[in-house]
Amino acid sequence: MSITTDTDPQADQAESARLRHRKLRGLRDIGTRLMVSTAGYGVVISLTLIFVFLFIEVMPLLRSAQLGEVVTYATPATEQASDSPETLYLAKERYQEAAVRFLDNGQVEFFEPTSGQMLASEVIETGDADIVSFAHGEPRTQMAAIGLNDGTAVMVKHHYEITYPDDVRKVTPNLEYPMGPSPMVLDPEGSALTHIAIQEGERGITVVAVTEDDRMLLKRFVARTSFLTGETEYTPTEAVLPPPPATIKALLLDITQENLLVIDQNEGMHYYDVRNPNRAERLDTAQLVSPEAAQAGIEVTAAEYLLGTVSVMVGRSDGSLSQYMLVRDANNVGRIERIREFDSHPGSITHIFPEFTRKGFVVGDASGHLGIHFATSNKTLLLESVLPGAVARVAVSPRNDGVMYTDTDGQIHYRTLKNAHPQSSFQALWQKVWYEGRDQAEYIWQSSSATDEFEPKFSLMPLTLGTLKAAFYAMLFAMPLAIFGAVYTAYFMHPTIRGWVKPVIEVMEALPTVILGFLAGLWFAPFVENHLPAMFSILLVLPLVMLLTALGWRALPLSIRQRVPEGWEAVLLVPAIIGAIWACVALSPSVEVAFFDGSMRQWFTDVGITYDQRNAMVVGIAMGFAVIPTIFSIAEDAVFNVPKHLSQGSLALGATRWQTMLGVVLLTASPGIFSAVMIGFGRAVGETMIVLMATGNSPVMNFNIFEGMRTLSANIAVEMPEAAVGGTHYRLLFLAALVLFGFTFILNTIAEVVRQRLRTRYSSL
Amino acid sequence: MAGSFNQNAGLDVNRPRLNLNHENISLETRDLNLYYGSSQALKNITMQIPSQRVTAFIGPSGCGKSTLLRCFNRMNDLVDTCRIEGTIKIEGEDIYKPSIDVPELRRKVGMVFQKPNPFPKSIYDNVAYGLRLQGIKSKRTLDEVVERSLKRAALWDEVKDRLDDNAFGLSGGQQQRLVIARAIAIEPEVILLDEPCSALDPISTAKVEELIIDLKESYTIVIVTHNMQQAARVSDFTAYMYLGELIEFDDTANLFTNPSQKATEDYITGRYG
Repeated sequence: MSITTDTDPQADQAESARLRHRKLRGLRDIGTRLMVSTAGYGVVISLTLIFVFLFIEVMPLLRSAQLGEVVTYATPATEQASDSPETLYLAKERYQEAAVRFLDNGQVEFFEPTSGQMLASEVIETGDADIVSFAHGEPRTQMAAIGLNDGTAVMVKHHYEITYPDDVRKVTPNLEYPMGPSPMVLDPEGSALTHIAIQEGERGITVVAVTEDDRMLLKRFVARTSFLTGETEYTPTEAVLPPPPATIKALLLDITQENLLVIDQNEGMHYYDVRNPNRAERLDTAQLVSPEAAQAGIEVTAAEYLLGTVSVMVGRSDGSLSQYMLVRDANNVGRIERIREFDSHPGSITHIFPEFTRKGFVVGDASGHLGIHFATSNKTLLLESVLPGAVARVAVSPRNDGVMYTDTDGQIHYRTLKNAHPQSSFQALWQKVWYEGRDQAEYIWQSSSATDEFEPKFSLMPLTLGTLKAAFYAMLFAMPLAIFGAVYTAYFMHPTIRGWVKPVIEVMEALPTVILGFLAGLWFAPFVENHLPAMFSILLVLPLVMLLTALGWRALPLSIRQRVPEGWEAVLLVPAIIGAIWACVALSPSVEVAFFDGSMRQWFTDVGITYDQRNAMVVGIAMGFAVIPTIFSIAEDAVFNVPKHLSQGSLALGATRWQTMLGVVLLTASPGIFSAVMIGFGRAVGETMIVLMATGNSPVMNFNIFEGMRTLSANIAVEMPEAAVGGTHYRLLFLAALVLFGFTFILNTIAEVVRQRLRTRYSSL
Repeated sequence: MAGSFNQNAGLDVNRPRLNLNHENISLETRDLNLYYGSSQALKNITMQIPSQRVTAFIGPSGCGKSTLLRCFNRMNDLVDTCRIEGTIKIEGEDIYKPSIDVPELRRKVGMVFQKPNPFPKSIYDNVAYGLRLQGIKSKRTLDEVVERSLKRAALWDEVKDRLDDNAFGLSGGQQQRLVIARAIAIEPEVILLDEPCSALDPISTAKVEELIIDLKESYTIVIVTHNMQQAARVSDFTAYMYLGELIEFDDTANLFTNPSQKATEDYITGRYG
């Protein structure tokens, strides 16, 4: 028989129709394949893009500081003077439009930091006396004090006036003398003031000075602003402080003007409470250099308060840097604690300059290295050799966008700086950190506060723990209910009831979590608080009631039992359970009166258990409700899909239904149940609305069921609107998102891998 | 009811020819009717199955031979709509009376299914499963019984070095012999085989058939098969069923060489689809 019948026109037509059909079918196949693979790759690509986007947002956190090109210049004072005066202090104005330099011959120069072009030059009148000491207050106060060799001192402020002549911004720097330009007498005996310290605050100005003969003098100007005229009047008081055992080499007064730290030649740091200067006493002493190191000749060479004047950065001649701070004990008495060590510099530390808005600091050393460190994160952002000789003085701009340093010849070097995110480090995020004002290292998340001096606390531990805590209690509630429910539904329940129960529970999944959260936070949490005994009695009574109902059922005569079709007996439990719950709730007030003095919640507080209204128990139950359908649905499928011939094989060997369920069905379904639990856990970890509304959102570090928590997801929802775009806080929230994403990704991957293994394992059946 | 004629016919036709007087009777059904909901699957089955013999049930698909087999260990109980009339006795005891402990009945009446169904456990645990159900925990007893059962199932030499491996690693034929080993481990009196070779290749089939012949010394064996050659090879007695009725029950040799019923002859000679 021939295949081609080329002569028959009808056959020809049929043949071409078949060809057309085949061609069309081929095209459709290609189209479908393209569409399906595009969609598949699209999912993978969008997932990858989310990862990549999160990474891009987080990456800048890992960057260290970078210096720009160097600009070197000398100002007229150093160029002209024959004796090359020494730089006492170097600082920059807010927008880097002006810098100031105090010199030890009384000259004060204002210049453009980026070019060295002079803006103004003034001389502080010292009469015949020479400048022997200099102190600057907290950098933002712009207040300085100059100690002279005749027992007098001058208080001076560098000030920048901004005007807009012809609509052009103009900065006019000048000096101000709050106590007048003429030196005021600090030491009536006229001894030289070898060291001086000054702070200005709302309540006045305090100056502390040390004389050549080791007397420590304090002068306080208490400010009183006239209610009518608005003028400020200063009332001076004076006091002599008990000196430390050795000659003083540094004075550090904090901005509250209450705490004075004194470093002496024996490398001891002494703490004085100078709230009442006349009764000031030395309260604590810390040794800044270990005895062995002191033997080797190592000494303290620089000490400076960080922003907020809570902690002191101490630099030594061996290049080491340590942070010290006053820690209050139970009696509110401060003691000096060393809280942190930093990466050592190769040379002796010459100068430390604190950042204006953060807990960072810039360090210069004798080997010509410039270092930028950050206290909270204990991170070295930069340690670079910038000069062949020693770095004399360093300064950083208020916005951390430029540094200046001088060499031993008095030349000024200016460099731009990029140092956007020094606050994050592995340690700061995941390990205990000793924050300022705390008495020990802790995990704290506290991202913002009202003042600039506040040290942001960016520990992700409380959030991660909170996430796990919420998920843990949710799983504690959901897992037994969902799994047992699934096993019962799939294996024991009458098919007719199963046909109702399964879809109903699955529909629960569609319940918006915001409604669950709303109910949990506003109705359930107060309800639980007012019916605490009910919550606990339900836990005990419910299983008991179920057992009793079952036993009661068995005790009934067969004639009654046979009226209920097989598999429907469980329905009888419904009224029993509802009745038991109602009874527990109804009896709850009486139980409280009888056993807990009227209020179990109060009783908790009395026995020392913290109880928050919105707590882990409420969240566990509410989120449990959100998770149950997920776990139930997958676990039910897993149990139901255990091949019938396996369970029949077991039954045929003389196993009871119970033995079959435990020995064969659960075993075979276990990977499916496991993946159900993992997916449920993943859902609980990522859940936002319920935890946001029902937890109280306090980032605590505990697993107390009666306290709240803050989860990663809720934290992002709460703080993202208030985080400055591009800031450290903002990027850390993205990091939290990345952690969360990683969490759920890993959980779901494990679940999927297990499910895949299950699939290959049973493919032969 | 249509069954009344068939009942008489069945009795009249079968009884006289088959003489089981010199056999011990293990299984016995009388006037057995079985319904799935409203449809009747078995009609007035009355038969006696001798002890320590192999009895084969043959017949076209849907004739009720598997259903009948599953009555003997009450596996039909698992089907919700299933309803049974009449009596089934094993060793003279009515297995459908209310006081019967069904799991214990199933222990005494082992069953092997069409598809090998080892549990997702090790080979050892599969064989020991039935014993553990009885509460036997002694490692020594278990070891002994597992070895003995595997040897009886002619599987010992193939698996003795990998008893802890997952049973799914075995071939189909090995799995089926493992399942038989699992069934005989609990010392049943009757073994029901529901098309045990239909999922196996010829070599595995031959091994299982050998095993069946070997096992009849100790057990009463009832086998459902589609394969008439198999029935002819392994069985002593053969029952031909059609549309829920027992058409003919006889000595295997007799039934295959000289069937008394036209329907039987049509079936065994292949004239029936």
